[in-house]
Amino acid sequence: MSATAPREGEGIVGGQPLPDGWAAPAHRPGADDLASTSFAERAHENLQRPFQRTAIANATDHTVKALQERFEGTDHDALREEARRIRAHAIANLPAYLEQWVDCAEARGITVHFAADEAEARRLVAGICTDAGAARVVKSKSMASEEIALNSALEDAGLDVVETDLGEFVVQAMGDRPSHVIAPILHRTAGEVRELFSAMAGEELPEDPVALTSFAREGLRHAFLTADVGISGGNFLIAETGEVVLVTNEGNGRLTTSLPRVHIALVGIEKLLPRRSDLAVLLPLLTGHGTGQRITTYVSVLGGARGATEPDGPEQMHVVLLDGGRSALLGGEFEEALHCIRCGACQNVCPVYRQVGGHAYGWVYGGPIGAVLTPLFRGQADGGELSHATTLCGACDDICPVKIPLHDLLLGLRRRRVAEDAAPVSERIAFAAWGLAWRHPLLYRATTGAARAGLALAAQNGVVSRRLPGLGRWTATRDLVLGRRR
Amino acid sequence: MTDRASFLAAVASTPRGHDPGLPSRDAAPGAPTELAAGESLLDRFQAEAEAVATIVERVAADDVPGAVAAALRAAGARTAALAADLGDLLEPVRTDCAAAGIVVDDYAAIAGDRARAGALDATVTGCIAAVAATGSIVTTGAGGRAAALIAPTHVCVVRADQVVDGLHALFAGDAIAGAGSMLALQAGPSRSADIEKTLILGVHGPGRVHVVLAV
Repeated sequence: MSATAPREGEGIVGGQPLPDGWAAPAHRPGADDLASTSFAERAHENLQRPFQRTAIANATDHTVKALQERFEGTDHDALREEARRIRAHAIANLPAYLEQWVDCAEARGITVHFAADEAEARRLVAGICTDAGAARVVKSKSMASEEIALNSALEDAGLDVVETDLGEFVVQAMGDRPSHVIAPILHRTAGEVRELFSAMAGEELPEDPVALTSFAREGLRHAFLTADVGISGGNFLIAETGEVVLVTNEGNGRLTTSLPRVHIALVGIEKLLPRRSDLAVLLPLLTGHGTGQRITTYVSVLGGARGATEPDGPEQMHVVLLDGGRSALLGGEFEEALHCIRCGACQNVCPVYRQVGGHAYGWVYGGPIGAVLTPLFRGQADGGELSHATTLCGACDDICPVKIPLHDLLLGLRRRRVAEDAAPVSERIAFAAWGLAWRHPLLYRATTGAARAGLALAAQNGVVSRRLPGLGRWTATRDLVLGRRR
Repeated sequence: MTDRASFLAAVASTPRGHDPGLPSRDAAPGAPTELAAGESLLDRFQAEAEAVATIVERVAADDVPGAVAAALRAAGARTAALAADLGDLLEPVRTDCAAAGIVVDDYAAIAGDRARAGALDATVTGCIAAVAATGSIVTTGAGGRAAALIAPTHVCVVRADQVVDGLHALFAGDAIAGAGSMLALQAGPSRSADIEKTLILGVHGPGRVHVVLAV
């Protein structure tokens, strides 16, 4: 929603004026904390919200259980292997498939735009909106648009932007950020949503998710019926047909791409699949790993603007292809990060994510894939420390529907961080000294003996639970149980 | 400004990673969205559709128009729009709905008026296919892109011979040739679990989906 004074008919959802928090978000969507705070600080802040940890645990347990039930009695591994091969083949041949997709899409009358980076993508999308003389824009959930901080750019261009996914609507109204790829307000309670919607409604609403949803539906329906432009992401691009595939449960994706007179899809170039038939492999994995569903309620395969004999649909369809650091990964050590289909399953099983939540990762993507993508897209300087925001337990490898070796990628990023001298000086000196000492038998015996004596002094009943000098931060949250000497 | 040539050239200038080769397009091995051998097409379709809260009713072909009108009345609909993909059923459905006291319009005639379309009680569409293994009905831009979810109730007529096995048969087969600007799958009412994982139906699309299956 525009931060400037509302124009006539604006700043109102469902006939209700918007609360202060909406008009001037405290935390503009897309802004990131990477440069200004550390992972430890963000994690600490998020650990102070006890509801959040319970909510994440409940929600992720629920989804993981549904996933297991969904694939029970099927050859799940055969399907994952098929998907891995399709994704690896598509990415290895990305230049050819991208060109094929562009040719097919243009033949369908889709206007294709090319954004080398985030800034160019923002300019392109805002330009299409202003060229169309748009005042109001409805959006369906798009992680790519979070990546490029699109909403702020559109608001700065004087557009009224309304997120239509229920969770994203709450995120936008609170000036918050999504904390999970699939479930944006995993970290919020029904009570918080009730408070927000009550402020918007100007009356106390009940804390009943059905009533809260129907309040949002009414306002969002008004937005759908009055919007000039609909902006979506895209779950897949089909090279052989030039189509964009969109998956939603609420139906907001279908309405966003059907009702306004202009549709813009913002899609990362890695979303390509060679053939339409590949959807039979990838869709059940995306939905099964994302939510545990056999299939989402809605799947839209979009192939252009309204046809001459069709009763509805947009007059124009634009696709903005986003590179934004993707092509730089092709052919390199981290290429497999591009295989990701954004199902969120690795977040659900990650012991670190489950404690600290998505916001602690500081940018758009959380969990293991976030710890991989953030330094790759945003640079080592600000994102590199995230390769340590993991226990390397490997649960993410086991659950990834396209078998991305997240564990290896995280280790690779740790190696790169050391090689680029991005690790703190104290850490590098400590490890260098340790390495030197333990290469010599005498020094090894001397240091281990001293450590054993020191720990025995620090221990009570065989457990060291106090902070150790020089290792204060590491030992503050960890106990060391001393083993008996044989 | 990055143009097509420079954008594609930048991607093409990258080193090439390992290519395991593209699997054949003949199957989707292990997918829960395929039919098991010997499984009944119509029984599986009905079971999957009902599992996602679709109302499924099997009727003889001649009884379809009456069943549609009854489905609209059961939903309490006073207005309904009929999509052109009903084909030969369009006029018989119109007649039976009018006889039941329902105000009917052609979806094509009112779709351009968003306010009016948004105020409908119900829509009635046909489909070009239905997917047994997922309980999905498949519509196209020809019938109307928003026709299945603009109103609180959606009634869809499915012919038994339109039901295909699974997603693979749908996407690799020719049932969807000529889909127009949109090929659309829908399984049950619109849903969300965004607020504390509580499942809510009818978020943006219909809260009630009624399939009249002509056998």
